[in-house]
Amino acid sequence: MNARTQLKSISGHELEQCLKCTICTVYCPVAAVEPAYAGPKQAGPDKERYRMKGELFFEQNLKLCLNCKRCEVACPNDVKIADIIQSTRIKYSTHGPSLRDRMLASTDFVGTLAHNFAPITNFALGLKPMKVVLDSVMKIDKHRTFPAYSFKTFEQWFKKHAAEQALYPKHISYFHGCYANYNYPKLGQDFVKIMNACGYGIRLLEKEKCCGVAMIANGMYKEVKKAGELNIRSMEKAVKEGDTILTTSSTCTFTMRDEYKELLGIDNSQVRNHLMLATRFLYQKIESGEIKLAFRKDYHKRLAYHSACHMEKMGWVHYSTALLRMIPGVELIMLESQCCGIAGTYGFKKENYERSQKIGSSLFQNIKEAKPEAVSTDCETCKWQIEMSTDYPVENPITTIADALDVEATRKLNRI
Amino acid sequence: MKFDTIIIGGGLTALTAGISLAKKQKRVAVIGAGQSTLHFNSGSLDLLGYDNDGNEAANPLEAIKTLPEGHPYHKVSDVKLLANKAKSLLEEALIGVDGEATGNHYRISPIGELAPTWLTVDGMASLHGKQLPWKNIILANIEGFLDFQVYFLKPALEKLGANVTLRTFTTPSLEFARQSPSEFRATNIAKYLDDETNVKEVAEKLNDMGPADAILLPAVLGIANEKAVAQLRKDANMPIYFLATMHPSVPGVRIATLLRRHFQALGGFHFQSDFVTEGEIKGGRVQFVKTHNMVDERMEADNFILATGSFMSRGLRSNYQEVWEPIFRLDVDSAAERKDWHNDQFFTAQHFMTFGVGTDDKLHALKDGKAIENLYAAGSVLSGNDFLKLCDHEGVDMITALQVTKNISL
Repeated sequence: MNARTQLKSISGHELEQCLKCTICTVYCPVAAVEPAYAGPKQAGPDKERYRMKGELFFEQNLKLCLNCKRCEVACPNDVKIADIIQSTRIKYSTHGPSLRDRMLASTDFVGTLAHNFAPITNFALGLKPMKVVLDSVMKIDKHRTFPAYSFKTFEQWFKKHAAEQALYPKHISYFHGCYANYNYPKLGQDFVKIMNACGYGIRLLEKEKCCGVAMIANGMYKEVKKAGELNIRSMEKAVKEGDTILTTSSTCTFTMRDEYKELLGIDNSQVRNHLMLATRFLYQKIESGEIKLAFRKDYHKRLAYHSACHMEKMGWVHYSTALLRMIPGVELIMLESQCCGIAGTYGFKKENYERSQKIGSSLFQNIKEAKPEAVSTDCETCKWQIEMSTDYPVENPITTIADALDVEATRKLNRI
Repeated sequence: MKFDTIIIGGGLTALTAGISLAKKQKRVAVIGAGQSTLHFNSGSLDLLGYDNDGNEAANPLEAIKTLPEGHPYHKVSDVKLLANKAKSLLEEALIGVDGEATGNHYRISPIGELAPTWLTVDGMASLHGKQLPWKNIILANIEGFLDFQVYFLKPALEKLGANVTLRTFTTPSLEFARQSPSEFRATNIAKYLDDETNVKEVAEKLNDMGPADAILLPAVLGIANEKAVAQLRKDANMPIYFLATMHPSVPGVRIATLLRRHFQALGGFHFQSDFVTEGEIKGGRVQFVKTHNMVDERMEADNFILATGSFMSRGLRSNYQEVWEPIFRLDVDSAAERKDWHNDQFFTAQHFMTFGVGTDDKLHALKDGKAIENLYAAGSVLSGNDFLKLCDHEGVDMITALQVTKNISL
C-alpha cells in the first residue's frame, strides 16, 4: 500500500506532486495585484486537499483566477495548478452565468447576430450612450472597445472560394475560430494566401463551433461540452481523411488540445497531435524542406512580440517567432513574457477592469519603451487589450507573413 | 529543430553554460522544466565552505585539495580561473556580487547562522570575520510579514557584537498587500515595492527610526533588477542592508531572471515551460531529444548538456528500490542497498546527497560504463559532492558548467 501511494499519483492534475515550494506564487499575475485572491498554491493544491472532503471548503473567489496557466508554466514539478482550480469551479460553483456572462461567452450566437447588422452594431457599440448602458446595466466596463464585427464572415467569403481550393494537390483543414470568422476575416484570408502559395488547398471542417474557452470561464459547462464534442467529432473526420487541422488562434488551439481533456473530459486523443497552430506547421514543413517561403524585398517592420499566456503554456512561442525571424525585413524584439490582463472575457467585466489593467501595466510600459511599429501576438484577446491600452496596432504572425510574402516567388519555389 | 548545443535544465548550471556558449556565437537552447531552485537561493553563492573533515575553509582553493577523488572539482582544469569567469558572467548579467575565490566571507542564514561563502549579492548583509561592522543596528520588519524570523535573528546578531533594536513598520501599499496574509510573501511584497512611490513611503518610515549605524531589512526589494534597492538606499538617511527571508527569495528570483534575460539577449533560445521526456542514443552519441510540448519534434544538436539538478529538481528520481536518471537512464553512482542510502542521524551528512550521474574525466555522462561522446553532465546532477556538508552548491553548478562549455569547444 505504502509503495503504491508513493509511486503513483492517485488524484487528478498531479496534485500529489506538489512540493509546496511556492514558486508558482511568484508568477501569479492576479495575486500580485489582488489580495482577495489566495494565490495559486493556496487556491490550488493546498485547499484542494480540503475540497476533496466536500464543497464546504469551496470559495467563490476562485473565479478571480484568470486561468492564464502561468503557475503551471512556472511549476518545476508539472502540477496542473490552474486545472485544479478550474475543475473545482466546474464541480462546485453555484454561481451561474449572468446574462452579461452569457452574452460575452456566446461568441457564435452573438457573432452571428452582430455581423448581420455589422455597420449598425459597430456604430452603436462605439457610441458613448451605448457604452454607458453596457456599463451600468450589463456591467461591461465602459473603457472597453468591442472588437469590430465584419459584415461578411470568413465562412461566407470562403464559400465563394471553396471550388478553387479543391484544385490544389495537397490539403489541410482550417479551424478558423470566432475571431477570424466574425471580427477579422482578413486573418483567415491571410492564412489561405500563405497556404495556397505553398501548394495547400484549404478545407473547412464539416461543422465548427466556438472552441468554448469563454464558456469555460463563464461557467457554461453544459454548452461547452456540447460544442467541444461536436468540434472533436468533426476533426476526427478530417483526420481520417488525412488532414492536419490548422488554427490561427493560440487560445482556441490550447483549449481544444488540453482543456477539452483535462477539464471537460472530452476524448480528443485521435485529434490532439493533428491539431496545431499554422505557425508550427509552417515551421516544421520549412525545416524539413517540404515547403519554402519567399519574402518581398520592400517589406520592413519593427515588431515587438508578446508571448500570450496560452502560447507560453503550449510551449510554442519559438515556432511563431522563428518564422517571423525568417522574414528579412522584420526586426523582432522579444517582450518580457507576462500576462496582458484581459484573459478573454475577464477584462471586459466591470468588476475586473481595474485589476485587468493593473496586471497588464508593465507590459504596456515595455511596449512603449520598445517603440515598435506594431506588436505581434498569436492571441486575439491580447490584441484587443494591447490596442486599447497602448497606441500600437497588434497583428497575428500569420498576417505579418502574408503581408511580407512574395506570392509569385513562393509559388514558384513550391512548384505551384 | 537543430541547435549547436541543447542544455537540458533551466537553473544556475544550465543558464551559466547557455550564456557561456551563446557568447561564443553558438546556437543554444535551454529547455528548463519550469522555474529552478534559484528561487531558494538567499543571495549568496558558495564555492567551498568546509573541507572534507568539516573544518571551515578560509581559502576554498586550498581546501579543494582535501576533497575525495570523486568530487566534481577534480574534473575542472583550473578552478580559480573558472571561478573568476563565473563572477564576471554574473556581473555581465547585471548581478552585482562581492567576494573572491581565494578567501571566503560569511553569509547570514534566515535564522542568523553564519556559513562561509564565496560571492554575495550587493546589498545583502555579510561579514568578513565573526564581528558585524556596525555597533548599533535597527532590525526592521514589515508588520504582518511572517517569513522573517526576527526572534532568531536578534540574539544571533547580538552574538556578533551589535546592539539590536527591533522595529516594525508598514505603509499604505504594504497594508493593502497584507489583506492576503497567505500571499504576504517576500516576492509579492517586492512586486509592490517595485513602484517608486511605494519605496518612498518605506524610506520615510525608516528615516524616522534612527539614529543607527545601519538598518537591516528583510530582502523584499528588487525582484527583477536592482532599481528599487538603489532607490531605497538613496532615499534613506542611514545605510541599509538586507537579510535573507524564507523562500521564495527575492535575490534568488532576481538572479534567475537576470541570467535568463542575459541568455536571451545573447540570442539564446529559452524553452521555459517545456521539459525533455526522452533521448535517443545511437552509436555512442545522443541523436536527439524529445520534449513534452513539442511532441513529434526531434530536438537535434551536436552536443547536449545534462543540467537537470538533483532529487528536488527531478534530475534524479528514486523509489524504494533504486535511484535513476530519468531521461537517458545514465549510470548513477549510488549505494546498491537501500539501507546504505541514509544515516539515521538526520543532521549528519547523508550518503544520498552524493548520489548522481557518473562521468569520465571530461564530464561525459556514462551509460553502461561507456562515455557518451556528445553528452556532458554538469551541476547538481553530478555525483561526488554533498553540498549541505561542503557548502559547494553554486560553485559546483557554475564551475562544472563552464568546464563543460570549455570541453565542448576543445
